Amino acid sequence: MTSSARCKTDRIYAEQAEKLPPCRTGCPGGADVRGWIGVIAQREKSGLPADEAYRRAWEIIVDRNPFPSVMGRICPHPCEDGCNRVDKDGAVSINAMERFIGDWAIERAWALPVMDEGPQAESIGVIGAGPAGLSFAYQMARRGYSVHVYEASDTPGGMLRHGIPAYRLPEDILAAEIARIVAVGVELHLASRIGGDLSLAKLRERHDALFLGIGAQRARRLGIPGEDGPGVWTGTEYLGRKKNGQPIDLGRKVAVIGGGNTAIDAARSARRDGAEVVLVYRRSRDEMPAADHEIEDALVEKVGIECLAAPVEIRRNDGHVRTLIVQKMELGELDASGRRRPVPIGGKQTEMEVDSVITAVSQEPEWDRLDQEAPDGARMESRLWAGGDALGLGTASIAIAQGRLAAETMQAELRGLPAPQPLSDHTVQTGQVKLDYYDGQERVQRAHIPTAQWLSQPDMEVDRTITREAFEGEAGRCLSCGLCFGCQQCWMYCNPSGYTRLETVGPGMYFSFDPEKCEGCGKCIEICPSGYLAPSE
Amino acid sequence: MSILDADDGGDLAGALAALQSDEEGELSLHDGSRVAVIGGGPAGSLFSYFLLQMAENVGLEIEINIFEPRHFTHRGAAGCNHCGGVVSESLVQTLAAEGVNLPPKVVQRGIECYALNQDVGTVEIATPLNEKRIAAVYRGNGPRQSEPLEFIGFDRYVQDLAEQKGARIVRKLVSGLQRLGGGIRVLCPDGSGGDFDLAVVATGVNSHFLEGVDGLEIGYSGPETRKAFLCEFPLGRKEIENRLGAALQIFLLDMPGLKFAGLIPKGDLATMCVIGENIDEQLIEAFLEAPEVKRCFPDGSVPPHICHCFPRVNTRSAVKPFADRIVMIGDTGTTRLYKDGIGGAYRTAKAAARTVMFSGISEDDFRQHYWPTCEKIESDNNIGRFLFAVTRQVQKWRFLRRAVLNMTAAEQRRATGPRRMSSVLWDVFTGSAPYKEVLLNTFHPAYVATLTWHIMLSLVIGVFSFGSRGQR
Repeated sequence: MTSSARCKTDRIYAEQAEKLPPCRTGCPGGADVRGWIGVIAQREKSGLPADEAYRRAWEIIVDRNPFPSVMGRICPHPCEDGCNRVDKDGAVSINAMERFIGDWAIERAWALPVMDEGPQAESIGVIGAGPAGLSFAYQMARRGYSVHVYEASDTPGGMLRHGIPAYRLPEDILAAEIARIVAVGVELHLASRIGGDLSLAKLRERHDALFLGIGAQRARRLGIPGEDGPGVWTGTEYLGRKKNGQPIDLGRKVAVIGGGNTAIDAARSARRDGAEVVLVYRRSRDEMPAADHEIEDALVEKVGIECLAAPVEIRRNDGHVRTLIVQKMELGELDASGRRRPVPIGGKQTEMEVDSVITAVSQEPEWDRLDQEAPDGARMESRLWAGGDALGLGTASIAIAQGRLAAETMQAELRGLPAPQPLSDHTVQTGQVKLDYYDGQERVQRAHIPTAQWLSQPDMEVDRTITREAFEGEAGRCLSCGLCFGCQQCWMYCNPSGYTRLETVGPGMYFSFDPEKCEGCGKCIEICPSGYLAPSE
Repeated sequence: MSILDADDGGDLAGALAALQSDEEGELSLHDGSRVAVIGGGPAGSLFSYFLLQMAENVGLEIEINIFEPRHFTHRGAAGCNHCGGVVSESLVQTLAAEGVNLPPKVVQRGIECYALNQDVGTVEIATPLNEKRIAAVYRGNGPRQSEPLEFIGFDRYVQDLAEQKGARIVRKLVSGLQRLGGGIRVLCPDGSGGDFDLAVVATGVNSHFLEGVDGLEIGYSGPETRKAFLCEFPLGRKEIENRLGAALQIFLLDMPGLKFAGLIPKGDLATMCVIGENIDEQLIEAFLEAPEVKRCFPDGSVPPHICHCFPRVNTRSAVKPFADRIVMIGDTGTTRLYKDGIGGAYRTAKAAARTVMFSGISEDDFRQHYWPTCEKIESDNNIGRFLFAVTRQVQKWRFLRRAVLNMTAAEQRRATGPRRMSSVLWDVFTGSAPYKEVLLNTFHPAYVATLTWHIMLSLVIGVFSFGSRGQR
């Protein structure tokens, strides 16, 4: 081996390499979480007054998601799952922070930022004013298009309004964030159900492009005897009527079938109606698709949970539901969803005495209202796009993301621009972030009203918005994974002075680096807390 | 007097006098005073340790915060203070007298002899006196790719001692200092820091902190430095024991820009340390290709190294390393030329701690009681510079190299009698004695006479070998 080759084996030349943080890759909407938290956390370094930093942070959020106040309440926040802080003292409380900044903006009546791309000639039609449709409408309207949204119901919001109980999402919060979208220049046509006079074909004539955000309103059926008839309701039906002032009398004892968020919402709402509630779920608690904290809250509210139990028959007496027959199950082999398939235990059936049954096993789009085959992708044919639950049951976060993506794609196509690129897959690897650099600070505690009031004040929101102090404290806990936050260590310890301070600083912009000066000792890479500096390739 | 003896001065009466004078408006520490030490290497940690001990002795309650963002538990350059890691036995003994006993887990290996490698041959110099044995330590937690060690680094050990004495280790980088009316404000990039009565700067010369001190306008100017080179060879414990044993290899080669180099055996690795005037990649590559270097390694070939750095070493003392409420110690102030940096850290830390405790923290206090220690080191360094200039000439001329080698070899072969050349070389390369003492030894008539004899002999041999080569 020559000495030249020998020396090279040991040289680790550095480069500044921004990487994606796990919060962003974990978010279905690809939210720039580190970006907006960084503006708050580094406001003093950047010389930003707090108010301006808040405004900038909010604008980064609403660039992708016009519903921070809503999502700060209802999002199952997968962004927090991968947070590198988990291994230290708990993930950064991103969801609670989003809610805080969302509420902050509503209180100050901040308007959504429009783009200075000028008015565009095309007229865009949107079917459905749920999260996907409104997200799409907002993204098109802020790009200068004339946007018309057709909504079957007489209020906008889709599942956000009809499917989420008030104790999780107050009406005024949703209304405020929708009003802001309308203010960008979206024309809302309420009580405009597609079909009859307002056919899809007509809309295609009226508009240059269409977006289908019809959601998934129709509940899937259990397919068991007794399912049809009085005393059996679907989760969406029950929740929707409750929200719209046409409550259903459930009686004293209710069985809710399912383990997803709608099932939990229905169960907790039924408790608020004064019923005894048992959730019947065919797999085990670990397999429940509902968010963990929602299940915990349901338990606090004394919702009974009967796992490994599948309904087989609903029996009535005198026209009233009396009994639910359930089959005991056990978990077998893995199924296509990666969960263990429930299989019946021979002969083990039990009877549950109930007054009504709510089924919340899944929902599907009501395509039959459209003179159209169900689409199988975000873009069906020329100038027709779709998004949200219509494409497959998901979260509001996914719906908002699909609405935005459809808008970006439509904009690119209408303007002849290159198609939007997905985020790179250059994510910070575990171990690249040096946890021991950062001060320990416990995650902010969830704020909520006293548990005694949860059921006694049925429409009062259970969770509270965190304080400004807690919000800023949480911002300070962000590790800024994969991006420079100005710790100055690389500059301080680089012997050949490879790093130069920048005059204007902010997240990701503190030093320039001159690779010509690099002596390849690798010190800056080892010392960089956030994993931003890396060996050059 | 040994170079390591800290200046005498100060006692309980002095401390009381200082406390009293404070009442008259002079600058000194008092109960509740807060001291910021910027940098948790040996200088900062030893200073904190000494000051807390002195404060304890006079019953003064002070708070010391050592600001050090790096963890010396990390392996590789990030958790290391970049030096060869040689602690002379005299320093080991002096530290022991101060209550700082280096445990076996800090000492990677005891060095018992030096091997002087030149093109004209190699000679081993056994330790002249038993107390001159030296210890090889790590300044970090071992090289980047090394196996986790049960050993702990010197810096971490001394920092732990300071912490046990009551110093608070603050894992923060300090970006600057600011003078306030009655104190010094320490600034950290994240907005933390705090206000202190005294700031002790011990950041060394391998950080850019000193650039932030300019704004204080205290007349301080940082030390002059030069680039050195350090790297680690994973040879394995067995190979090191067989090949290097407890011998530190010194290389005196005639190579432009090179002063000298040392290969220091440690546990499973050996540290190569190269000092010169223009260290760069080319010089390092040429040096590692030299036959004198290659023959120290298994199969006569230098293996790849696993960790390296180009640290800066002091070549000239800082100008005025003190001001009201501020003092620079260790490399940031004054240290010994090319070697024994830990000894320099010890001396300046001790002198600064004594001044702070027994005289005060004003510029005048430091000038009268701290600066003389720095001056003494620097004037000895001037002698050192002369000695290295002479060494350079020896490196240049083959007949001189041969004379030095032969004289040393002859001394080492003798069972008894003075080993003057061995002793001079030992002291120059280990840093055990002041350069002044080395110089005085070379004035000894016996030394001069013997060296002259060897030079003449070497010249004759040189002419003869030249002649014989010419005949062929």
